[in-house]
Amino acid sequence: MNFLSNKYFLLILRLIVGGTFIYACAGKLLNQELFARAIYNYKFLPDVFINIFAIVMPYLELVTAVFLILGIFKRGSAFMIIVMLIVFIISLTQAYARGLDISCGCFSLETVSEKSDILLRIIEDIFLLVATFIIFIKSKPIIKQEIQQ
Amino acid sequence: MKRSLLKEIIIIVSVSVFLGFTMNIISPNKIPLIQDYSSRHQIDSVSSDKQKPVRQYTKEGFVKPVNVKIQDVKKMFDEGAVFIDGRPPEEFATGHIKGAVNIPYKEFKDKTVEQKLEILKAYDKEKPIVSYCGGTECEISIDNAYEMAKAGYNELKIYLGGYKEWNELGYPTEK
Repeated sequence: MNFLSNKYFLLILRLIVGGTFIYACAGKLLNQELFARAIYNYKFLPDVFINIFAIVMPYLELVTAVFLILGIFKRGSAFMIIVMLIVFIISLTQAYARGLDISCGCFSLETVSEKSDILLRIIEDIFLLVATFIIFIKSKPIIKQEIQQ
Repeated sequence: MKRSLLKEIIIIVSVSVFLGFTMNIISPNKIPLIQDYSSRHQIDSVSSDKQKPVRQYTKEGFVKPVNVKIQDVKKMFDEGAVFIDGRPPEEFATGHIKGAVNIPYKEFKDKTVEQKLEILKAYDKEKPIVSYCGGTECEISIDNAYEMAKAGYNELKIYLGGYKEWNELGYPTEK
């Protein structure tokens, strides 16, 4: 499993995860009202938190993605991305299990349009979760790295 | 090591929270911090025979669409009310309430008021129009109704149970 520590491999993983998150946050940043409605459709957050979540979430995605790609606060960014992915996976799974008709919610149409798409998204998120986890454990804290050098 | 991770997380979250709230203040599309979503799914006072419900107006000035119960929906159906199905044409084609008209929300919402009025010109502004979509978790019945109400239609009813419930009850459908 030595290749996991290969810095180019890790760089590619960072680009994939960061790129996906930047792509994902773009639409949400452009239309936060619709994003808030999409969150509401998932019905997993109390109403009072929905808009605050919709306001902060896209920026959290953006900031962690940019940091991850640039290599700033890599571990912190990877950690937060792991947390977000777990939240995504749980909410998608419960929506899928409860048979929520989010396809007809239509606000999330661009991302989730059918039941099969929800499954695809879950798989996608699990893949990203594994990738981010590798980044997290292979990114040594800076102090330790300096000592080694 | 643990402390540095925590520090990074605090910095990341702070930057995101700061950016989020700042941009939301600057942005032309800003959203309120707290919004009441509960009324969206509340069944409004029923249009009973005894008294005609009082029209409510939204703060934008149009008549607020009313969420109605299945019994009232069926009654309106029997009385020949117009039914508008807001789902995409492909879904509409797989089955819909008998006689319903397909006005997909996705396209309708972006039309100008004139275009909306053109689409709806066959219908009476003062007679019930029932907006519905796929099922109970479906939001476009609500949004489509609001779009039509904004265009000046005063008797918008929302049937949240949607095609799913209607079909399960064995009421008239067609493909």
